[in-house]
Amino acid sequence: MTAGVREVGTDLDEVGTDLDTADDIDLAVRLLAGTPTHEARDPELLRQWAYAADEFGSALPATDLDSDFHAEIVERTDGLELGLIARYRSRPRPTVELFTDTLDAAEALIDARGWRHWYPPGSPRAAALAHEAVHERLHHGPDRDALRRALGHVVLRAGRFTRYGHVAGAEEIAAHAYARTVCGLGRSPLHLTAALADAVARREVK
Amino acid sequence: MGVVILIIMAAGVAAMLTRKLPTAFALVLLGVAIAVVAGASFTGKESVLDTVLQEGSPMLASTMIAVLLGSWLGKLLDETGIAGTIVRKIVEFGGDRPTVVALGVLGVSALIGTVTGSAPAAMLAGIIGIPAMIAVGIPKVTAAGTILMGIAVGVPFELPIWQFFSTALDLPVPQVRDFMVKLFPFALVAAVAYVLIESRRRGVEHTWSLKSASAAPTSRRERLGDAPWYALITPVIPLILALGFELAIIPSLLAGVLYALITTTRPREMNKRLLRTLYGGFEVAAPPIALFIAIGILLAAVQLPGAIEALEPLVKAVSPQNPVLFVLVFTLLVPLCLYRGPLNVYGLGAGIAGVLIAAGIYPAVAVLGIAASYNQVFGVADPTSTQTVWSAQYAGVSPQQVMIRTLPYVWAVALGGFCVTAAAHL
Repeated sequence: MTAGVREVGTDLDEVGTDLDTADDIDLAVRLLAGTPTHEARDPELLRQWAYAADEFGSALPATDLDSDFHAEIVERTDGLELGLIARYRSRPRPTVELFTDTLDAAEALIDARGWRHWYPPGSPRAAALAHEAVHERLHHGPDRDALRRALGHVVLRAGRFTRYGHVAGAEEIAAHAYARTVCGLGRSPLHLTAALADAVARREVK
Repeated sequence: MGVVILIIMAAGVAAMLTRKLPTAFALVLLGVAIAVVAGASFTGKESVLDTVLQEGSPMLASTMIAVLLGSWLGKLLDETGIAGTIVRKIVEFGGDRPTVVALGVLGVSALIGTVTGSAPAAMLAGIIGIPAMIAVGIPKVTAAGTILMGIAVGVPFELPIWQFFSTALDLPVPQVRDFMVKLFPFALVAAVAYVLIESRRRGVEHTWSLKSASAAPTSRRERLGDAPWYALITPVIPLILALGFELAIIPSLLAGVLYALITTTRPREMNKRLLRTLYGGFEVAAPPIALFIAIGILLAAVQLPGAIEALEPLVKAVSPQNPVLFVLVFTLLVPLCLYRGPLNVYGLGAGIAGVLIAAGIYPAVAVLGIAASYNQVFGVADPTSTQTVWSAQYAGVSPQQVMIRTLPYVWAVALGGFCVTAAAHL
């Protein structure tokens, strides 16, 4: 590497710092880098996992929210205060909480930034439901083993026995990728999340 | 005179509860006031200056050294990446089964709890452990409580605590160790029950959060990577030496420091790392050492003949001698060790323990049973203890939420401790 020139996409400090230039994978790498247990990871490995998780989520068959999604949907209005867009809880009964104030703020931000071609009206809510549907699916179904295999993080190999390790944060990337695909979004909801987090931090959204 | 001393004690508790005075300062003032009321002279034998302040302040010196060494070892576990590596490995192996991850983090917290206590122990296990648990779907209150319950599992084997009880209650270390070994199963069962029951009751929780989009900056230390596998047994080295080989506490802790250093550090960097972590250990150990100086002063005051004479009839009148009543009364009094209450063993509780022994109301080992049992409650559920505050706030919940969730479990541990005490030592 030439002195003074950094390898593109290998320095975590610069990944996705600029929303205009960061693509969805950059943002996914940034999410992984900020997830505990990945502090010492090679950024290239994080990128590889981000790709794998994104591909896995994009390829998941669509869930019919009416027949396949068993969670109760509850609306709340304290999302900006809590810093939340949506939340899935498995107990006492599977529930998805949608934070409507944050979703409204997301809609307003999309208009303000001129991002309607990426995020059609109502898409943040649809993406939130799709996102949480993946969490429910990964929590209850066989897909979580498939995700581990797709990531290929081997933590133990003894003869024919191979143990694939858990990659913290990968499920989140898969959920965002699934939401992007089934909702037909132009960008990952991660991009919208980053913009919204930035706007909240700058107090552009109240 | 005894009533006056009790009023002074009550005023001291009020000052601590209302945070008018830091606990250490309040205990020193209490010690001096009790000595004056007990009729101690200013200087000379059994006096305020020479006995209470001069002899009292270094009374727990060996505990202070043990605390310092534990903090030093804790700093090394942090700086060398040993603690972080253990937590990371657990998440990688069990990450898609939240209960397995929580049990793993509980185990790591227990290991760390044997080395050091208070907020630094919670930080060692929790800095990676809490967000890692939350990331796999464990609710925040459960995650914070898991760290605290885990540390409490390690507390019966925390060597500085053995030293503290040994010196403060004037008991040989093997006697303290024997009781702690009996207390450990209660702490372990309660902690495992906490994880299993709370995981079952609360299930998993996944959030689409605004925070998920922002990466935390990684420091140079965080990028150091995994510690070698053979370094990961560092936390059990002092324990094996002290418990298995009956080595003294300070050499056992020093052996842990050396093992951590040798297994993780290049020879040319050893001196620098040793000094840096030792000085860091001083910083971590400063609050408990200040407290132990103050407790020594209070113990010296309540052990003055005048104080014993004044307090003996009062304390004797309210202290149950019947084993069943003993268990019942001390179990009901558990809440009094919360919020820096009068039964907090790192506060006025140490003074009360001193009175119970000095007045001959209970044998010293029975007082150890009372104090150690309350310590299991205080270390987990007290919303004013530093580890509880840190864990709760780091997880993003209130210390009171953690107290409500963990209190039933640690109350049961205390009950177990009182039963053992009553059965074996009354």
